[in-house]
Amino acid sequence: MEETEFDDILDDWFIESLKTYKDLHVYQLEHPTQVIEWTSGKTVCVAGFTSSKNEILELRLPLKLFADENKGLCAERDFKVVHGGFTDAPVRCLRHIPGTRCVVTNDGLSSDLQVWDLGGDDSDVIRRTGSVDGSRGVSEGGSRIAARLSSQPQVLHGAESAGVRLTQLTSGQTVYTLETDSADPLSSLHFVSDAVFLAGCSNGKVYIADTRTSAAPQLSPPPPSSGESVLWWTDASAGPSCLDPSSCRIVRLSSCGQTVISDLRNPGGAVSRAQLDVQTRRCNADDVRVSWAPALDDCIAVSGFSGAVQIYSSSVWTTELQEAQPLFEHRGHAVSSQSDDGVPVFVTSHVWHPERPRTLLSAASDGSVHVWDWVDQSAAGC
Amino acid sequence: RSCILVSIGGKNIMLDCGMHMGYNDDRRFPDFSYITQNGRLTDFLDCVIISHFHLDHCGALPFMSEMVGYDGPIYMTHPTKAICPILLEDFRKITVDKKGETNFFTSQMIKDCMKKVVPLNLHQTVQVDDELEIKAYYAGHVLGAAMVHIKVGSESVVYTGDYNMTPDRHLGAAWIDKCRPDILISESTYATTIRDSKRCRERDFLKKVHESIERGGKVLIPVFALGRAQELCILLETFWERMNLKAPIYFSTGLTEKANHYYKLFITWTNQKIRKTFVQRNMFEFKHIKAFDRSYADNPGPMVVFATPGMLHAGQSLQIFKKWAGNEKNMVIMPGYCVQGTIGHKILNGQRKLEMEGRSTLDVKLQVEYMSFSAHADAKGIMQLIRMAEPRNMLLVHGEAVKMEFLKGKIEQEFSIDCYMPANGETVTVTTNPSVPVDISLNLLKREMALGGPLPDPKKPRTMHGTLIMKENSLKLVSSEQALKELGLNEHQLRFTCRVQLQDPHSDTDTLHRIYTHLKSVLKGYTIQHLPDGTVMVESIVIKVSSSTEDPNTKVLLLSWSYQEIYIYL
Repeated sequence: MEETEFDDILDDWFIESLKTYKDLHVYQLEHPTQVIEWTSGKTVCVAGFTSSKNEILELRLPLKLFADENKGLCAERDFKVVHGGFTDAPVRCLRHIPGTRCVVTNDGLSSDLQVWDLGGDDSDVIRRTGSVDGSRGVSEGGSRIAARLSSQPQVLHGAESAGVRLTQLTSGQTVYTLETDSADPLSSLHFVSDAVFLAGCSNGKVYIADTRTSAAPQLSPPPPSSGESVLWWTDASAGPSCLDPSSCRIVRLSSCGQTVISDLRNPGGAVSRAQLDVQTRRCNADDVRVSWAPALDDCIAVSGFSGAVQIYSSSVWTTELQEAQPLFEHRGHAVSSQSDDGVPVFVTSHVWHPERPRTLLSAASDGSVHVWDWVDQSAAGC
Repeated sequence: RSCILVSIGGKNIMLDCGMHMGYNDDRRFPDFSYITQNGRLTDFLDCVIISHFHLDHCGALPFMSEMVGYDGPIYMTHPTKAICPILLEDFRKITVDKKGETNFFTSQMIKDCMKKVVPLNLHQTVQVDDELEIKAYYAGHVLGAAMVHIKVGSESVVYTGDYNMTPDRHLGAAWIDKCRPDILISESTYATTIRDSKRCRERDFLKKVHESIERGGKVLIPVFALGRAQELCILLETFWERMNLKAPIYFSTGLTEKANHYYKLFITWTNQKIRKTFVQRNMFEFKHIKAFDRSYADNPGPMVVFATPGMLHAGQSLQIFKKWAGNEKNMVIMPGYCVQGTIGHKILNGQRKLEMEGRSTLDVKLQVEYMSFSAHADAKGIMQLIRMAEPRNMLLVHGEAVKMEFLKGKIEQEFSIDCYMPANGETVTVTTNPSVPVDISLNLLKREMALGGPLPDPKKPRTMHGTLIMKENSLKLVSSEQALKELGLNEHQLRFTCRVQLQDPHSDTDTLHRIYTHLKSVLKGYTIQHLPDGTVMVESIVIKVSSSTEDPNTKVLLLSWSYQEIYIYL
């Protein structure tokens, strides 16, 4: 594309954005990231995923974003690199252990985890402090990781359903192991309360287990009409609105855009479903993300199928499978990327801000990271 | 504030001479006692170089040259030379006239200081004296900003000043060749920042202007003639055209004349796009932007006005501000830093009640927006610059030294160079490997090449034997014989001998013969001779056998070799 043509399209999108976004920040990292993880209300971690040396960075979000009353007087729009570290392997999964300055990573090549100390005020170095063994030697896709606030720092991890374990970080001891009949590769792990967690499998199964008991986990089978090569991703809504774990909802998204929402009280059934308007492309299992908005009702964000992040409102969905249109689409990465090799850019990760209802961070394969606060143009909905 | 002293090859250079804008007392000036405790600085400095016209880089220059005392050359680019005195005078007026300070430079001092300035052109080597040379490179950032390359003999330093690596609407990006300086000096704050894109900053500006206009408000944008005015005008003009907006946009007179004058003078310092535009038309000829008349400020309805001066400390922008401040629908957008003591500084600090002349108070009800458009490099940019220049060492200034280990490690790992981060007041010593050029005599060269073996690799060091003669300012390497001849000295040959005792009952001759046979079998490939004079020679090592006088069974072997042989056979 000619430079002026590209500039015009980009300008058009920016002009449009005056009405469609409250805040918009566009950054360029040196290397793309597949992970964005909150380490505090104002800091996130990102990391590279090349096959050799990579950086793990802890970035502080621009002050302007948080300066609510005095926003006009704050000119500070940039990310600050507060801590950084090096790793010799790709970082495919990164999880912060709440209540600590610790993060745990997995390189996607085996199920072992690396443990890091993010550092405090006196140093800007992120240091490797140890490792946690996975249950198998080598596994495709690597481990999923989950963590929640607890008195003793613990991490829940696994590459397959049979063998998910809860490990004590300081001692390395395994305090719980999930036992399932089959070893299904995982696409996600989520805590819905201190003790209850969900293991979402790529084949669409979801196991619901309680770390306090040794009883067999509940199994929610994959949604019907799920084909052989279809992959599934899951998210569970857990948070301040979810005091009773059984009222949590699970969203399952397939690689062809089919979405099913179920209730933890009735994990086999479906509360609602929809066919999402995702561009089908040969998508990498690693890139797709589906997430519930923590501070909005019934809103889901989907990314990884293209260069856009889509927000859907599931409140209008029914049990009948119907096409759903996104409430909002962030096309910033697609529009502002000038790819040299003709390979279209795709979004590698997104996260919601834990408290600000419509603020998200998204990252793409060209190294861009956007922070955006979208405007809900519809009368009803989120 | 920026003020760095570099000692290189016996020369002392001051890089920038900035004012610290946060202090009101003498702490705002650099501490020149590092150079000398008392007296003028002229004897201690070979030159002063100023990178650009921002006050944190040149604000203390008249103080240094006229109040502390320096009469040597001060180097800066042409645009910097033209713009510096204007900013310094404005700054002086605010500090002395408005704040009533006394230990400050005068207008005359600014003029006297500027008389010492020697202007620089880009990419032109300037000989400060017969050993020190400097060259300026384009830095982007602001009009006339330069990065400077300093060379003494074979040692060099590059100082970046402030720069940026992405071109914007009116300036290009910094550029430097692969000059491989011994040290590259840059700001550490860049390396720990990841900058929000220019477009997002512009978007914010347009959004704020548009929102004010939509609710019927008036927008005041105080600007400095050579600051962002031009750029923001282009932005608004494009936006107004696209959105088909009708509200009037004005710029105050004086702004356009000055701006046009300077841009014409320094057209080569702007980017391609501006140069093309300028050729076609006047810089400030816009469809939607018109000249302002002071009476327009009272017109009803929305409007946007660009007015000088930039910090609201006097003149037209202050007059307009006073008229519009009381209405909350209105807005003032400050596109840059404001010096302490100005109204701009006060409102940016949240002050909502201002004391004006005659003890009247002004209630600030309009919306105040602070926007930063200045172009700076960031983490990615600094790595790009290092890749361009290929320095041997990196020096980062103005960081929180304690906390920069990651950054240091990153640079050291990626480029395999040392990275230094001195705190204010700290001295860093960097050892360099200066290359010393030496002439070699043709004979010596031929002889060394004739030694045989594979052809020498020009990149690999090679041991050779010669004599270095230093005469006046030249160095040459000649063969020892030639050196002896030139110096008129006699050659002395040294031979070493050592004695080895053996128990052997045979006759001297037999023992010698046995030694000869033995050596012939173990030292293959070497010339071994049994000479008629009763010696064995291994190459040029001589072996003689004689019996001990006390005991005929004890044989004494004499081994003798010349000095030359040591390194071949040991």
